[in-house]
Amino acid sequence: MSHLGERVSALVDGELNHHERDRALSHLAFCADCRAEVDAVRALKSRLRSLDGPAMPTDLTMSLLRMAEPGGPLPPRERPFPASRTFGGAPIPSMYSVAPPDNRPRSRVQGPRRPRRAGYVAVGVASAAVAIGTLFVVGGADSNPRVVPPVDMFANQHRNTAPYGGSATPTFSPTP
Amino acid sequence: MIRLPATIILVAVMLLGLVTGGTAHAVRTSHAIPPDEAENEDTGLHLLREAAVAGRAREYSGTQYVMVWGASGSTSAVLEVHNVPGKGMTVRTEPSGSVQSADPGTPAGGMSSPSETMLEVLARNYRVVAAGEGHACGRPARLVNVLRGDGTVAARYWIDKAAGPVLRRELMDARGRVVNVGAFVDLALDPVIKGVVPTVPPSATGGLDLVEMPRLLAAGWRIPRALPGRLELFAARSAPAGYLYLGYSDGLSVVSVFVQPGVLDEDHLQGWHAEWRSGHTIWIRGPVGQEMIWASGGHVYTVFADAPADMVDTAVAALPHEHVPDLWTRLGRGASRLLSWVNPFG
Ligand SMILES: [Zn+2]
Repeated sequence: MSHLGERVSALVDGELNHHERDRALSHLAFCADCRAEVDAVRALKSRLRSLDGPAMPTDLTMSLLRMAEPGGPLPPRERPFPASRTFGGAPIPSMYSVAPPDNRPRSRVQGPRRPRRAGYVAVGVASAAVAIGTLFVVGGADSNPRVVPPVDMFANQHRNTAPYGGSATPTFSPTP
Repeated sequence: MIRLPATIILVAVMLLGLVTGGTAHAVRTSHAIPPDEAENEDTGLHLLREAAVAGRAREYSGTQYVMVWGASGSTSAVLEVHNVPGKGMTVRTEPSGSVQSADPGTPAGGMSSPSETMLEVLARNYRVVAAGEGHACGRPARLVNVLRGDGTVAARYWIDKAAGPVLRRELMDARGRVVNVGAFVDLALDPVIKGVVPTVPPSATGGLDLVEMPRLLAAGWRIPRALPGRLELFAARSAPAGYLYLGYSDGLSVVSVFVQPGVLDEDHLQGWHAEWRSGHTIWIRGPVGQEMIWASGGHVYTVFADAPADMVDTAVAALPHEHVPDLWTRLGRGASRLLSWVNPFG
């Protein structure tokens, strides 16, 4: 099989059919060049998502996305929120914007549009979170310890615990 | 992120409070209908069982490619897997080059050799049907489909026809999209020694890890026995390090929940980004929605999952997401002080 070429983008987006995906994955396991290409495309797409914001010219976004995805045209960009609900460039999440989580993978056409919405929301939330943290300290009413989860240890325990593996032979014993 | 002046942030917080101070509870997904008892056609279950045994009892080495897709991207890894009966499985992850021993029933081991109890749970929650033959990794394979109650495919397995392990495993989300693939792309399987029947290692029988439950309940923990998506509690353990570990699985996927008392120190969460979900901030790492942290009611919750992103989201939404009790009281007190600092003439 020759290098993946244009199929890299479709693979990253989960758009290949079973047979194509199978061939692509088999190739990737042995081709460092294509793995690097997959990483690069992934990074570009991720960068495009994080770049997204009011300051990013729509035309530039569109052309970059077209470059990354030669597969087809993209639909016109939607306004994520009415202008009246933004504040200092960041939208204020309202209770009406809180919907049941729906983060299933999108099709390639929808893909670049939906995460953008989440990106907008995240900016507003992050601002609020910083302020709340500050106010907690100032208020001084909280005696609870401040916690940074030991995520490496948790990840290790998750990855090394067999579901329904029983209690007789735990495959992981956490080390504090 | 642009730092806004404190007063603006404060006003934003107050507005947030006005808007979300009301009850904006996440919609709880009701439990799915249990599978029809009469429809007991698990024609593929014995194939999964045999592959699970082979995954522990046969010697093999090979290259696996693992790819996971989520709401905002994908991740992948190349694994060099080597299993020696009696010694266990080692997994070398590329490109990091890290080598670790892994149980083939764990996420680290590709969950290719589930315990007998895990298979029982799988059969209770899904229909497991033989689906003909095919090829994977250039080897003849038997196909097994795992079907939801509505007939949609939740997972597909390619099982080596020469009494070998699972060659390929795919998980599908509710929309039918492949969200997780673990596949051998190269496999060297040692021949079966004639007359020697592989025996099931004792660890493969499996079971629950809930011996601590009575003590935890007595200590005041309220632990959900199930989460939406047919995720059932299989383990509850308090760790000496001061956290509670809860394991949930539907027989296919696994969701781990870690609970610590305290307030989340968001300033020191490096590599995590904030999203607004379930009425408050959730910290997420990576593009595939398998790692989340949030705070609720004086506890910090950390979730790690090997599951379709939609299943993780629904499960996480069902866990506690209190809008921080007494927050607005404390916030009010803190806010008035902060305001007096910001505006000495106020
Ligand atoms: Zn290549």
